[in-house]
Parts: sequence; C-alpha cells; structure tokens
Amino acid sequence: MRTPYLPYRATTLALCLFLALLSCAPSSEQAQEKVFRVNLGTEPPSLDWSLATDQVSFNVIVNLMVGLTEFDRNLRPAPMVAKSWEIHDNGRKIIFQLRDDVLWSDGKSVRAQDFEYSWKRLLNPSTASEYAYILYDILNAEPYNQGKITDSDLVGVRALDDWTLEVRLKHTAPYFLAITTFEVTYPQRRDIVEKNGTRWTDPSIIVTNGPFLLESWSHEDEIRLKANPGFFLGKPAIDRIEMVIVNENTTALAMYEQGQLDFIDNRSIPIFEKHRLIRQPGFRIVPQLRGYYYGFVTDRKPFDDVRVRKAFAMAIDRRIFPKILHGGEQPINSWIPPGMIGHNPEIGLPFNPSEARRLLTEAGYPNGKGFPEITLGYNTDETHKMVAEAIQSMWKQNLDVLVRLDNQEWKVYLNKLNNDPPHLFRLGWGADYPDPDNFMKLFTSTSGNNNTRWKNERYDELVERAARELDEQERVRLYNEAQRILCETDLPIISLFVTAETTVLNPRFTGLEFNSMARLMLRQVRLTEPTGANPS
Amino acid sequence: MKIEKRPRGLWRELRQNRAALWSLGFILILGLSSSLAPLVSPYGAGGLDEAHILENPSLDHWMGTDGLGRDLFTRVLYGARVSLAVGIGTTLLALVIGTIVGLISGYARPLLDNLLMRIVDIFYGLPDLLVFILLSLILGRNIVGLLISLGLVTWVRFARLIRGEVLQAKEFVYVEGARAVGASHPRILLRHILPNIMGPIIVTLTFMIPAIILAESTLSFIGLGINDPYSNWGTSWGTLAQDGWRAMRTYPHVIFFPGLAIFLTILSFNFLGNSLRDILDPKGNLR
Amino acid sequence: MRRLSHSLAVLWVVATLTFVLMRVTPGGPFDREQRLPPQVLANIAAKYHLDEPLISQYLRYMTGLIQGDLGPSYKYLDRTVRDIIISTLPVSALLGILALAFAVIVSFPAGLLAAYYHNSWTDRWCLFLATLGISLPNFILGGLLIWIFSLQLGWFQAGRWGTLSSIVLPTITLGSSAAAYLTYLLRSTLIDTLGADFIRTARAKGLKEIVVIFKHAMRNSISPLLTVLGPLLAALVTGSFVVEYVFAIPGMGRFFITAVTDRDYPMIMGVTLVYSTLLVSANLIVDLLYSVIDPRVKRH
Repeated sequence: MRTPYLPYRATTLALCLFLALLSCAPSSEQAQEKVFRVNLGTEPPSLDWSLATDQVSFNVIVNLMVGLTEFDRNLRPAPMVAKSWEIHDNGRKIIFQLRDDVLWSDGKSVRAQDFEYSWKRLLNPSTASEYAYILYDILNAEPYNQGKITDSDLVGVRALDDWTLEVRLKHTAPYFLAITTFEVTYPQRRDIVEKNGTRWTDPSIIVTNGPFLLESWSHEDEIRLKANPGFFLGKPAIDRIEMVIVNENTTALAMYEQGQLDFIDNRSIPIFEKHRLIRQPGFRIVPQLRGYYYGFVTDRKPFDDVRVRKAFAMAIDRRIFPKILHGGEQPINSWIPPGMIGHNPEIGLPFNPSEARRLLTEAGYPNGKGFPEITLGYNTDETHKMVAEAIQSMWKQNLDVLVRLDNQEWKVYLNKLNNDPPHLFRLGWGADYPDPDNFMKLFTSTSGNNNTRWKNERYDELVERAARELDEQERVRLYNEAQRILCETDLPIISLFVTAETTVLNPRFTGLEFNSMARLMLRQVRLTEPTGANPS
Repeated sequence: MKIEKRPRGLWRELRQNRAALWSLGFILILGLSSSLAPLVSPYGAGGLDEAHILENPSLDHWMGTDGLGRDLFTRVLYGARVSLAVGIGTTLLALVIGTIVGLISGYARPLLDNLLMRIVDIFYGLPDLLVFILLSLILGRNIVGLLISLGLVTWVRFARLIRGEVLQAKEFVYVEGARAVGASHPRILLRHILPNIMGPIIVTLTFMIPAIILAESTLSFIGLGINDPYSNWGTSWGTLAQDGWRAMRTYPHVIFFPGLAIFLTILSFNFLGNSLRDILDPKGNLR
Repeated sequence: MRRLSHSLAVLWVVATLTFVLMRVTPGGPFDREQRLPPQVLANIAAKYHLDEPLISQYLRYMTGLIQGDLGPSYKYLDRTVRDIIISTLPVSALLGILALAFAVIVSFPAGLLAAYYHNSWTDRWCLFLATLGISLPNFILGGLLIWIFSLQLGWFQAGRWGTLSSIVLPTITLGSSAAAYLTYLLRSTLIDTLGADFIRTARAKGLKEIVVIFKHAMRNSISPLLTVLGPLLAALVTGSFVVEYVFAIPGMGRFFITAVTDRDYPMIMGVTLVYSTLLVSANLIVDLLYSVIDPRVKRH
C-alpha cells in the first residue's frame, strides 16, 4: 500500500497501543480493601422486604438483613435473631426468645416489637404485599389481610416483651419455622418506615441489622454494600460488595473473564457459553428447587376448556429443554421438584401428540382450524425466548396452532399479568422454604401469586390438610392426589422442567454458599488462603 | 438548462461502473431468492431440529444452525423479505407523502409553502428514532404498523428535496410555455416538472432504502422491532443478529451471517446510490 | 431572533405531541406488581392528577416544563425524570464528544488525501472505506470490535464505563459512521476548493504546497464542515443508545430504551424533549455561527 496513509495509520495504532497499555495498569481496588463483585442482572424493583417478590431483590436483602432463623446446610431452620423457641399447644403456639445483642445499623437493639410490626405490615391490606399469604397460618392473619377485620391487635403475633415474640397459629403448621427464614418476615423499624414512606429504603435512610450495609444505589448501574462492623456474628471477611447491574449476559461474562467480576451465575452466562465454561476452575452446577411452568388464564377462551389445556400440554416434548439450554435442566411433568418430599415422577401427562390432536378436535378445533388468536407472554430473557420459540414450534408442528409471542421486561410483565394477562404466561417458582407446601400453596385460590384464576376446592382442601398433617406418609398421599389434580385432571399449568444454576466462582474466593434456594448469601465469602487445600 | 437522461443512456453509464453492477446484481438475486425462498431452501421457516443444534457451516447447512437447530441460511433468506419489504415499502411510502407535499409546497403560493415548510421543520426537529419508537407503541409492531411509523418519520427528506427541485424547475422555459398554452397546474406538475426532477429523486430513494434497513435492523437488535409471529414472512435480520450476539464468543457464525447480510445489502444500495448520483446529479446538489 | 422564536415553537410542538402520544397509549402509574385495592388506586390517581380533565393535566405539565420539572418517573417511584437525566446525560454527552473527536481525527487526513489525490487509487480507497463505514451498522461493528479486541485479544474492556480501557471501543463504534460522513464531506468540499481560481493563483505565486493546502484551501473549506459538526454532535449524542446498549454504558440512551419497554411515559417524554432541544439548539447555533462566519449568507 502506498505511503501517504502510513504516518496516520501508525499514529492511530500507537494511540491504541498506548491506551491498551494504560488499561493493563493495576486498578486501585486491588489495594487493601477486599472487594467482592457480582452481577445482579437487573435493577431490583424494590428493596422493601414487605413488597419484594423476586429473586433479584431478595439477593440484595438477604445480605442486608437477618431474621428469626436461617437455613443451615441441610436446609433446616437454625437460630439467628431467635436464640431459641418453644412449641406449645400441640404446635399451635410458638414462643421465640430473641438474642439481646443484635443491633440495627443506627445502634438500637432489634426487639420483638420490630418483628411484630413487620409481620403486621406485611398483612396490612393497604401495603398490598403479594406475599401476605405466607403468614396466613397465623391466627386471624387471613381475615385481617382480606379486610374482614381491621384491628391488627387480633392478629396472632405479639411481642410479650422486648425479647419475646409469641406467635399463635390457627392450626398446626409443621413448616412454620421454615417460613421464619424467609426474607419477608425480617423485622422492620416502625419509626423509620412510617416517617419516610416509600423512600425508607434509600441508602441514606434505611436501617438494617445484617452483615452488610447499603452504602449506595446507583440505579440501573450498581448497588454497593459495605461490611457492617456491628454485625452480631462479627464483621464479614469481605469489606465491600459491588453488585453491578448489567443486563447483557455476554457483557457480564466478558467482565468475569477479564477479572471485573468475581462470581457469575445463570444471569451472567449466555446459554451457549455454558458448554465452554465446564472446564473453568470454580465451575459448579447447583440443582435448584425451582420449577418452570406455563400458566393458562383459565377463565377466558380458549383455555377455559380443560381439553384444550390438556392438548397443549401433551404436544410438548420436554426432552428438548436440556438440549437447547445446556444447563442441566431436568424435564418434569409433575410439580413438586426432586429433593422435596412429595416428589412423584409418575404423575403428569406424557408427551402424546396424537392424543393431543384428538383432544383438540374434540374441543371443537379439528386440526387447529378455527383456533382463536392467542398470545404467550414471557419476560425478556434469552432462556425464556428459546423455550417459547421451541414450544411455539412444537405446537405448530403437533397441533397446527400458531401462537403469538410477546415479551416485556420483568416489572412490566408482572404488572401485565395482574392487569391484562395474555392467554398463556411463563413463570418460574423457586421455593421460598424447602417444604412442598410452599410449592403447592402457590395454586390455591387465595394465593396472591396464582395468576391462573383457577380455583378448585378439593385442591385447596388437600393442600390445607397436608399442611397440617404431621405424619409424613399421609402428607405424601395427600400431595399425590393434589398433584394429580394440578397436573393431570385440571391442568391450570404446564410444568416444564426444574432448573439448575450454572455458577463460576473466581478461585481467589471461597465460602460462597450457593444453595438450592438460589440465594446469593455472601456473609461467609472470604479470600482463599494462599497455601494448602481449602474446604469449600 | 437541465438535460433529461433517457433511460437507455442511464443503463449504459451504469454498466461502466463495476461496483454498481455487482451491487445491482446482488440486490436482484437477494430479492428474487428471498421471495422464492420456499423453492430455494428445503428447510421450512420455523422448524426446530434438536439433532442439529449450533452446528458450524457445512454442506447440509450452508450457514450452520442456530440454538434451536434451525438452518441459518433459510432464516437469513426469509429475513431478507422483511428487510427488503420494510426498506423499500417505507421508502415508497415516504416518497409518496413527501412528493405530494413537496410538489404542492414548491409550486404553490408562498403562504401555503410556508405553512407546509413549518410542518416539515417541526418534523426535522424531532429525533427520528425516538419518534419512531413512540409511534410504534401506538401503531403496533406488525409490518404494516412499522412501515407507517418509519414512513412518517422519514417523509420530510423527500419533501424538502422535491420542494427545492420544484422551485428551480418552475423557472424553466417549458413551464412558462405550458402555462401559456393553458395547461392546468396539476398537469404541469405531473407532466412537465415531475419527470424532470426524477434524477435527484431516484438518487435519494436509493440512499434512503439502506438507511431504513439500517434503522429497522438496529431497532430489531435492541428488541423494539417487528413483533408479529402471525406473519409467515420471516424474522428480521436484526432479531437474528440479537440471537447470535449471545453466542458470539463460541459460535460466531450465528451472528456473522445475518450481520454480513445486513452489511452487504446496505453496502450494495450505497454503491448503487453513489453511481447513480455520479450519473444523474454530478454537481452534488444533494446531501 | 426569528430563528429563536421559531425554534421555541418547534420545541413546544414536540412537547405537545409527545404529551398527546403519551396519553393515547395504554399504561400508567398504577402499574405496580400488586393487584391494588380500589381505594389505593384512587389515591394514586389523585396523586398523579390523572383524574383531572386532559386540559388541566396538559397545562400542569407545561407549566412544570418551563420550571424545569419533567415529572416523576413511573418506574422509579422515588426519583424524578430530571434526576435521572441529570445523572445520565453527561455520560452520553461525553461519549458523543469522544466519538466526534475520533471522527474528526480520522476524517481529516482521509478526506484531505482523497481530495488531494483526486481520482487516484488513494481517492478510490478512501471513498470505498468511507462507504464501508457508513454501511456497517453500529451494533455489528461493536460486536466485531468486541469479538476481536476484547474477547480474542483481551486488549480492551468491553462493558460499563469509567476506565480508560472501556471508552476506546464504544468511541470507535459510535464514531466510525460519522468519520465516514465527514470524509465524504471534506473530500467533496476540498475538491471544489482546490479547483478554484485563487488556489491556482496561490500556486502560480510560488507558494509552498503545504501552505497552499492548509492556509488557503482548508480555511475556505472549513465553514461547511463546521456547520455540520453541531448537528452531527447532536446526532451522535441522541443516536448513542445502541452503542450504550451493546457496551452496557449507563447513558441516557440506554435509559430511554428501558423506559420504552417499561412504559415509563414521563421518562420517555423527558428524554424526547432533551434530545429535541439538543437537535434544535445545535441547528440554531450553527445557523447563527454561519451567518457570523460567512457574511455573504443572507438570512431569508
């Protein structure tokens, strides 16, 4: 090539190299502070734990706060703020004794009244919490939340004194202790919340009691936490946590591989890269107690007809999911995931395209003719898109029905489900506590998270009875019958698969307990000792 | 005095420019093969094939397959329909609206001219893609809605151009002559003026199409493009590029081919436009 | 001054149009995750004045605008649109400025060489590259650059904003089509200028070639370029959202995209207005500058 170009090209090249060299310079963060960086993926809709419903919000909250109990390695509730508890009255009354050394970040003690306030706020109808129903086992909780009684003193949770919390249940609930691990039951400060209204979760206002403090929240960009020196179990080993908000998982993965992130999970790993990452040190697949399903809106045509629902369910060959998603997904036809009691792989409708077609014809749409326009909704995400496109293709192929796909960002999507839902919607459900009641209660008629508008008295009754049943075998029998209603006869949902979380942790760190409940708990994270093997 | 270029002369000139020839050829082949897509490719537009996921290009699958096992070549071919349809359709729509407004504005009295030009100014003051996004919220994101939204955003370019040309053309002798004979205004406009200003119009047209294709694929890439699975047309190249972007690191072919398609198509139209401009408007009155 | 009032009129129309568009499309501040009891819904409606007749809502909005109040965000219930714009606009602006600088640095020598060696191979190559630059969509160029320089070679950071290494690729991506455009422009202007009489005179006088080029030719070609720089900068700043999306940069453009998917109407309106203001002012400034620099231009 002729020369006049060269001087300019050379300068540009030199400029680029110079900049590249600058980028290799060590960043100041590697100095003294121990920082741990993760990617939240999306902006948490709310850090108010009476209002939060999604994993992203909980991932932040779980590091800011502690509650009565916490899960141990075996997923059983272990003492946290509650140092002990006594069960009376055949399981209908629990008295929690609280520690007196747990402090809020402004120095005040965490007292039983803070729990009472928080739980009542959760149940207060004007808070409009979606998770209010989780406390329905408490005496008078349900009528209070439904507005049938207005005196919150009648609700069965009461601070007997500063360090004693009394909970009266309306019936025996063997899993209630597990519920006290759940983030929505964390205590709250009445004075802070009432004074500041919706702004109370602002970093400058919020008051928390957990291992980390909310230092800053730069929206759509980053949330910063710093270690709480006053944490009652001792200051965490990590000084600061940077939770970035990067929507694009390709970018997030690139950031991890360039050393700007220390841990990535499904949110930050594109599907097609999972194969390649298996060889990375620090790679782990963690099976989750999380189901993935498509729900029908059952009070509208055409899915008010159960035959149509069955037809759609039987036209899906679930074996394709692990193949296109590469993440160890486990196809399932029933609802309760493996690892929980009540899991029963025998239940559910198998893949049977000819039977599906027959049912559709019987329902009045021979070969898909005359089938109305329907929309399948999902929240924007590459996994959901792939699943939706695959299923759309299967329905076209097996039923000759064309389904329209529509997607929105998570928050808009949730709102749409409540106000103007599509005919079919995609949702997942991660266990809030590792008891099948949590999974089965989802579809009862009073559940705030049941978007199918399906009601079945027998199902409600079975779930209710199983919740109170202390004999495990009897519980399983009841859940079997309930699952049969859910997955074989009524089919308000199509259960698709159980998810697994692909994670990679920078070997510089250890102690990250990513459990099957998908909670990003960072309290125990610490730098790996430079010598010798590390217990992981 | 402006000299009209007869079509025969145009073709002769065009033939001498190799880049333009190749571009024209590419566009024609693309248009033809994508309209006849079902004949060209044995694979259907939508079918997934779990046995062949994310395969590299091979004899069976010229461009490889995507994450659902679909043949990429087929998807790109069907996608051409969308891109070309939107590109050409929108341009034509903008042309029609812009021509009407431009003709009237350039020819009519200053009052009407000023009014129309104020409206045009306002449209110019609006940020294109933003207005398009807002319009698409109302008009819906199917192909027709998209065409209208894009068309409404781009017609002003034609309007200004044509008005300018008409203002110039008005002064020509033959116009006065026609008026002296008693020809009506519309007749003058359509029969005399319009054919003489075709040159710049064609050039602008040829440049507008790739601009629209660029806009449409960009919007589809960020997820705000066509969302209409009822149409059996195909999937926009921008959407294909978005799918492929996630696999870029390990399976670059999934984004490479749609990207290449977009690039080559836009490039072809631009080359063609360059050549046409050299022939029809060498003084560079445009741009 | 007529220009100024004209520009203001344009802005007013934009504001009104966006307001109308907003009200026509579905969705609103009730859009929270929970199914709210009717009393609470009524309270929210009253809070956002959505129960008032359209005219008073419009007047309320307009008066707010004049005072610089762009309304609350529907998505972030405790932040105003103004807060968000104030924190994100500088990022987009910086990106735009850097891209423009890159475009100028690249296009100057390219356009100069192309014009000087008019119709030679150099010229053809420059034109070819320029056409390539214009034809390559942002997101593809960005993806390509990320793939080569970030993933394969690891030279630059590809994501977020803040370190020196993270600004290189986005700048190049955003600036390349502007560079191509400027190259075209400079080249054609210079070709015209270099063929003019006064250049021939200068050469005949025996002036050194360098002087001829830079002192005489360039100076006369600058003005059309300058008039373009303003709107070009505005276009870059307002068109940066794809680059911001691809490189995860927290600029105003990316917020705009999220606002659209979230149906955060005040945010959409606010950003549209800001962008419009940028475009209109850029044009206005350029017009004024032009009439100052080149007194031969009469204002019509």
